[in-house]
Amino acid sequence: MNSISIKSFILSIIFVAFLLEGYIFYNFFENSKNTISKLLQTSIQADVLNLKHFMEKNLKQKDINFIASHVDNIIIINPTIEDIHILDNSQNIIYHANIRYEGHNHTSQRCMPISKIINTNIFTQECYSFSIKTFHGLQTKYYYANVYIDKAYTHGLITQQIRKILIAFLVSAFIFILFLWILSKIYLITPLEKLRQYAYYSHNPPKNFFVKEIESIRYSLNMTFKRLQQEQEELYNLSTKDPLSGLYNRLSLIEKINWLIAKSKRDKSEFAIIFLDLDNFKNINDSKGHEFGDKILLHISKVLLKTTRENDIVARLGGDEFVVILPDFTDENTIIEIAQRLKETLATPFEIEDEEYQITASMGIAIYPKDGRDVQTLLKNADIAMYKSKELGKNNFQFFTNAINKAVQEKIAMQQLIKNALQENHFKLYYQPKVDIQTKKIVGCEALIRLIDPVKGVIPPYKFIGIAEENKMIIPLGEWIIQEAVSQIKKWAKTPLKDIKVSINLSAIQFQDPELLQKIQKYTQDIERKKLDIELTESVLIKHFKERLNVIKGIKKLGISLSLDDFGTGYSSLSYLKDIPFDTLKIDKSFIDNIYTKDDLTFINMIVGIADDLHLNVVAEGVETKEQLKLLQEIHCKEYQGYLCSKPVPPKKFEELFSLHCV
Amino acid sequence: MFNNKSDYVLNLNFGDILAKTLLILLFLLFTACSSKPQKQIIISTNQWIGYTPLFYAYETGELDALNIKIVTSVSLAEAGDLYSIGKADMVTTTQHEFNVLKKTTHDIKAVILIDRSNGGDMILSNRTLRALKKSKKIDAYLEVDSINQEILLDFLKKNAISKDKINFINKDQRQIQDVKNDPDKAILIATYTPYEIPLKQKNFKEIASTKDINSIIVIDALCARDTLVEHERQRLIQLKKVIDKAIEIIEKNPEASYKIISKYFSHVSYKEYRHSLSLIKWINKPSEELLEYIQQYGYKKDDIIL
Repeated sequence: MNSISIKSFILSIIFVAFLLEGYIFYNFFENSKNTISKLLQTSIQADVLNLKHFMEKNLKQKDINFIASHVDNIIIINPTIEDIHILDNSQNIIYHANIRYEGHNHTSQRCMPISKIINTNIFTQECYSFSIKTFHGLQTKYYYANVYIDKAYTHGLITQQIRKILIAFLVSAFIFILFLWILSKIYLITPLEKLRQYAYYSHNPPKNFFVKEIESIRYSLNMTFKRLQQEQEELYNLSTKDPLSGLYNRLSLIEKINWLIAKSKRDKSEFAIIFLDLDNFKNINDSKGHEFGDKILLHISKVLLKTTRENDIVARLGGDEFVVILPDFTDENTIIEIAQRLKETLATPFEIEDEEYQITASMGIAIYPKDGRDVQTLLKNADIAMYKSKELGKNNFQFFTNAINKAVQEKIAMQQLIKNALQENHFKLYYQPKVDIQTKKIVGCEALIRLIDPVKGVIPPYKFIGIAEENKMIIPLGEWIIQEAVSQIKKWAKTPLKDIKVSINLSAIQFQDPELLQKIQKYTQDIERKKLDIELTESVLIKHFKERLNVIKGIKKLGISLSLDDFGTGYSSLSYLKDIPFDTLKIDKSFIDNIYTKDDLTFINMIVGIADDLHLNVVAEGVETKEQLKLLQEIHCKEYQGYLCSKPVPPKKFEELFSLHCV
Repeated sequence: MFNNKSDYVLNLNFGDILAKTLLILLFLLFTACSSKPQKQIIISTNQWIGYTPLFYAYETGELDALNIKIVTSVSLAEAGDLYSIGKADMVTTTQHEFNVLKKTTHDIKAVILIDRSNGGDMILSNRTLRALKKSKKIDAYLEVDSINQEILLDFLKKNAISKDKINFINKDQRQIQDVKNDPDKAILIATYTPYEIPLKQKNFKEIASTKDINSIIVIDALCARDTLVEHERQRLIQLKKVIDKAIEIIEKNPEASYKIISKYFSHVSYKEYRHSLSLIKWINKPSEELLEYIQQYGYKKDDIIL
């Protein structure tokens, strides 16, 4: 189907209306002409009838002059009649009304009988005739009268009428078209154009329209756009907001930081990013469940929104990580003030499900452009600073610095190194002999981990053990150590080293593995477990003592002996010796280093005494000199371990050492 | 999506619109033409008792339904004048007026026969016939050049009264009605019913009437222009039916019809109305012989609607 514009449509309507109006006016003109002709006809007929009666009564008695004035009066009064001729029976003119038309001759014109007068011939016929009957006694005498029509007058009437009607038609048509056009413009075209624009741009909704149907469309469009906008907002929120907290999500945060970077570049201004991570949130999640954790997160979100300023941007990156952007700050004090306020407000105890809780957060702060010129760098550096804050004891905030950055980078590199080493078997176990002080024979050894990187060479344990514990890689690494030590025991089982007891260390982190005991049982099932010794530091026993005690007892029950490492340092408690079935006490190297002092010697002597009373073996660690050995021998310490005999060595070297007596 | 203003269109077929518009225009033209009113027919007549059916049909609205109007005059001549100047399309005439109009206008046909006078046209006098014959001078009132004249001349001729002693005075019937009965003057009046009633009250006596005159039969007919007969044949047939119906009612229930048409005959009592009716014979359903007979008066039997 072809389409036309509304303008063309209305113009067509106007054109049709113009034709209709023309038709109406034509009819009106015809009716008007008809009315005029009827009036003229009536007027002529009335005058003719009057003249006929007058002449029939008077023509016989009076001479022609008597009726002349009457005839003249009719001509004067009736402008339609131009002239009247009175003719006798022989058609001779006996009177000619030449008052105004002297010399005018109508004889050549043919007259139509007045009986045939009709409105259609009134404007074409020039002359009508009628008979006049006079009586002289019973004698009838006929006269005739010709009535001449003033065609100029009758045509003038029509011309005048045509002019009037034409003007009326044109004026009314013009007014009508103008009126119709204005109305169409106001009530149809303009509203429809506004609707079109509204439909296209979907903003600036037009006001109410007069025409009901158009108003209905406007209303429907309005409703549709509102619904669309609502859905758009919902979609926008879904894509830009975190559904749990209602805060901006990672995507929006990146957008906003990018926008701030662009703005700051233009304005040469700065902004700060606070990377916030809740302390120990995992514990809450693990112990109370995710649903409860979500409530905590919601509470934290509210606190963050409440604590920050109106222009600040708060986002949740996921989990328990939040980011606060401070677009406007005058100096670092402002940041410190806000960070401090965040720290204090977050640490305020709150109630959930009628229980009081307190949660803290560690924050890292990075500033644009000083600490990064792009989103990734800024977020990474703020995260690094936060990490440092956590390292420094949590519930605090830390500005990003290059030193922090370097340390963290190294740590990250080390983490990667540990991961790769595990995969590519770069870890090795070195063995440091434990020597019987009396016999000078090697009776055992402590298996110590070494990372031998193909590029960086041997990396000492203090560089990676802490990191492995932090990221819990110590768990797989610990498993590897057990398996490797067991493997070594198996290798030595048919050699002279078959009675060597191998000690390995268990990290406190390894006790977080709920399957630790089962794994030890599994890995040691092929050896005599009495050949394996597990050294525990006091730090293992500080937390979750009860649970860990069960594991330790389980290990002991397997037949594996236990050693208390670094005894005498830290938080040593004699109650451990009572509760835990240790087999060996290892005196910490710090005591051995200071064995020449009276206090430390007394202390070592006391430890040896306690061990002796409790029927425990005693191993002195870090023995490096013969003097130290001599003193230990004097106080009846049973075994020693240290560089005096040998540093930790690979298995081959250890086997060579075994055949020799140390010192 | 609309790209610009010109893309904003109505899904209408322009051809369809124009076609529908033209149809509407044609419909309007058609209705305008079809609703054009039927041309009104005007019948010029006079107050003759024989035309009572026309008055009755007019008063009962039967003629309105045919868009026919009646204009009454005081004389046959005046009724003829209205016709001759074109003010009326039909006219009631006797054969005399019919022939006069035919002679002057050449445009008349008798289409409906209504009645014939059976005593309705009469001669009144204040003298006896014998006295009249002896009178040296007689004033005779009549409508000259009408059926009155024919009847009066026929009366004079039959009674051997010389026209020389007659002073013919031309008056219409309204004027004749007012003629005083001067005992010193011998007066003759040619009139017709019901105009004779007030004259008889002035002691004018009927000395002759169409009841007695066998030589003249006065036929009253309704005549029309040739063009009207040609173009409005059906309407004239309807008119004839209306007249037939009116005559039937008048005959069956004259009292009821009197009440309806009495205003046309002022000062005429019901009794006088009944008497006047007795002086005419309805010939709306003429015999073949009558149709043949009236041809001598110039009526053409083929023009008559039966």
